[in-house]
Amino acid sequence: MTSFMGRILRVDLSAGTAESVAIPQEIYEAVLAGKGLEAWYLYNNIPAGADPLGPDNILAFAAGALCGTGAFLTGRWTVACKSPLTGGWGDANCGGLFAPAIKQCGYDAIFLSGVAEKPVYLFSDGRTTELRDASAYWGLDATEAEKALHRDLDGVCRKKPCVAVIGPAGEKLSLIAGICNEGGRIAARSGVGAVMGSKRLKAVVLAGTRSMPCADPEKVKALSKELGRKLLKMTLPTGLGVFIGAGGRMMGHLPSMPLDGSLTSYMFREWGTQSNTSLAIPSGDGPIKNWGGTPRDVRLMDAVYNPEHINKIETAKYHCYSCPLGCGGRLNIRGRKYVSFDETHKPEYETIEAFGPLLMNWSLDSIYQLNELLNRAGMDTISVGNTVAWAIECYENGILTREQTDGLELKWGDTEAILALVGKMIAREGFGDALADGVKRASERFGGKEYAMHVGGQEPGMHDARNDPQLGVHFVAEPAPGKHTVGMSIEYGAMSLCDICSWAPPATVHAKKRDLEDTEEMALISKANACYTMLVDGAGGCYYGQMMGVHMWKLIEYLNAAEGWELDGDAYMEIGERIQTLRQLFNVKQGYDPAAVRLPDRMLGVPPLPSGPLKGVTLRNREQVSSHWRAFGWDDKTGVPLPETVRRLGIDKLTEV
Amino acid sequence: MKKKTPVFDYLNCVSCGICAQACPVSALAMRREGKSGKYRNVFPELVADGCIGCGSCARACPMEVVSMEERDES
Repeated sequence: MTSFMGRILRVDLSAGTAESVAIPQEIYEAVLAGKGLEAWYLYNNIPAGADPLGPDNILAFAAGALCGTGAFLTGRWTVACKSPLTGGWGDANCGGLFAPAIKQCGYDAIFLSGVAEKPVYLFSDGRTTELRDASAYWGLDATEAEKALHRDLDGVCRKKPCVAVIGPAGEKLSLIAGICNEGGRIAARSGVGAVMGSKRLKAVVLAGTRSMPCADPEKVKALSKELGRKLLKMTLPTGLGVFIGAGGRMMGHLPSMPLDGSLTSYMFREWGTQSNTSLAIPSGDGPIKNWGGTPRDVRLMDAVYNPEHINKIETAKYHCYSCPLGCGGRLNIRGRKYVSFDETHKPEYETIEAFGPLLMNWSLDSIYQLNELLNRAGMDTISVGNTVAWAIECYENGILTREQTDGLELKWGDTEAILALVGKMIAREGFGDALADGVKRASERFGGKEYAMHVGGQEPGMHDARNDPQLGVHFVAEPAPGKHTVGMSIEYGAMSLCDICSWAPPATVHAKKRDLEDTEEMALISKANACYTMLVDGAGGCYYGQMMGVHMWKLIEYLNAAEGWELDGDAYMEIGERIQTLRQLFNVKQGYDPAAVRLPDRMLGVPPLPSGPLKGVTLRNREQVSSHWRAFGWDDKTGVPLPETVRRLGIDKLTEV
Repeated sequence: MKKKTPVFDYLNCVSCGICAQACPVSALAMRREGKSGKYRNVFPELVADGCIGCGSCARACPMEVVSMEERDES
């Protein structure tokens, strides 16, 4: 026995049919489940040149290999498709309860092709699978639609259903739309919500009750118990949040940055990811004023971003499935300025950055409102923030006029104008309609390309590659470009991959000068980082488990116990390498040109910033990306995987279904 | 009539929610407010009379803090 359900659900929305398909064990051994299974299936089944918003594109939902085994931090569900934003591989992942719900219906993944004639939702409880009329839910925001589905199915299912749903942004084919669950928690990136909307699929509703297999559940439990006991003992003194800014300032001046995996565990358990804000701004990690500012531009940082402030209005904490950390929370925001809701999710760091320092907006209250508005609309806060930043800079520089912006005076830090513009983007109304497809499309239409911060069409996550050049390599070389969760030097130091992988260079601190160099060591670090991230994604693991390091979150031991295998770290890293290579092959098949993807000049440090922690930094990104490709066995000029690499990884022998 | 239902050792519970999702009839929910050390947190609790006493929650719990104990239904 392994941890896999052994089957996928294949749905043709045009024909209105669904079938359960058995997957050969060799596929799981090659790519695990989660993103690996999706990479294998989409590479084989989406025809070259498919329209991302047409019937040939396939939308996939998958749970990871370790989901349901008792392994901690393995509750992520991954959505994948051909991205309408980049024209290449697209994926996004999210926590909540949806990952185990897929497996409890008897599947490792669900693949949906075609386009429904009218709005539908997919229902499955593992026995009955059918497409149902969704006209009553079409038009509702993601949170209201989920509530309505729960209300209408109450008493009908034995088990409370789990719902993945799009909001108005996905319905209106906004290319920066995501897919939500658990009241607006969103798999936000790559335009996956637009693909779901193009299929007229409002929701996927799962209410299965099957048990999820595991080769050695007692061994898995023992590993989890060890981690759980450590976390129970982790406590920070109350009030420490005020010192995080000082820590960030210090990090900005240090020549190197150490990070221990347990530090992030403390921080996220105590405050959630929002605690990173006051660390990131002064250290040079967090972008300011559309990636062109410095920490000096940020007013009252400690007063605004002290994480204790946000924790004071937290009414409840919540955890994703199988997570002992619990970085999520609900906030009471009733009666606050700019706010029209009673509560919202605790905003993530990415959202606070994207609507705070990036736009020079110092109103946290407005960020609560934007957070809730966009979660309900099902729209990516990273992409929206970058797009609004472009619009403001264009307006300030006379590229956009008041007539073009529907009368909005777009200025840095103008909270009301920012709220109004985001409202227009959600509604696809007037000027907002032009911005709802992201910053690349907007700049192609109006100009101001020098202010449009995107990588291969996707807006970058809120971490500055000039502070961590390894991040810049992944921004460009990652098959879904612009993502910030694939690798960083600071994270590499925390993970200690050299302890599980014979070819991974020793874990060292993020040394800023060394990391700017184009060396074989740096290329192996970026390769190891990407391979491990793909392994984590195949297992359904959480990024914050990954950041704990291999000694705390024991992924290799977990996988061997769950699958009954006796593989070493090198063999597992090869699985990660195979998944990443499959995703790159997908891009090549779809005509996406990896060599054409570039960091914007500003993000490269051209020209370099004159002051602050990033003063004088210019990246050697192109050379580092070439070396990264070479380390992977891909052509170092084109980024295309070499035939011998494809053979070495056995990709040419993987069965199609 | 005697029936077994889950009893939780909240002091050693890490709020991972594995027990609640394992329940085939959604009789458990992560709803009980309490503290884990100094942290405010939510814990599993029976939310309906629907518990069928199957023990799925106890078997699934990695921390082994769920036990099935008899209670008198009459």
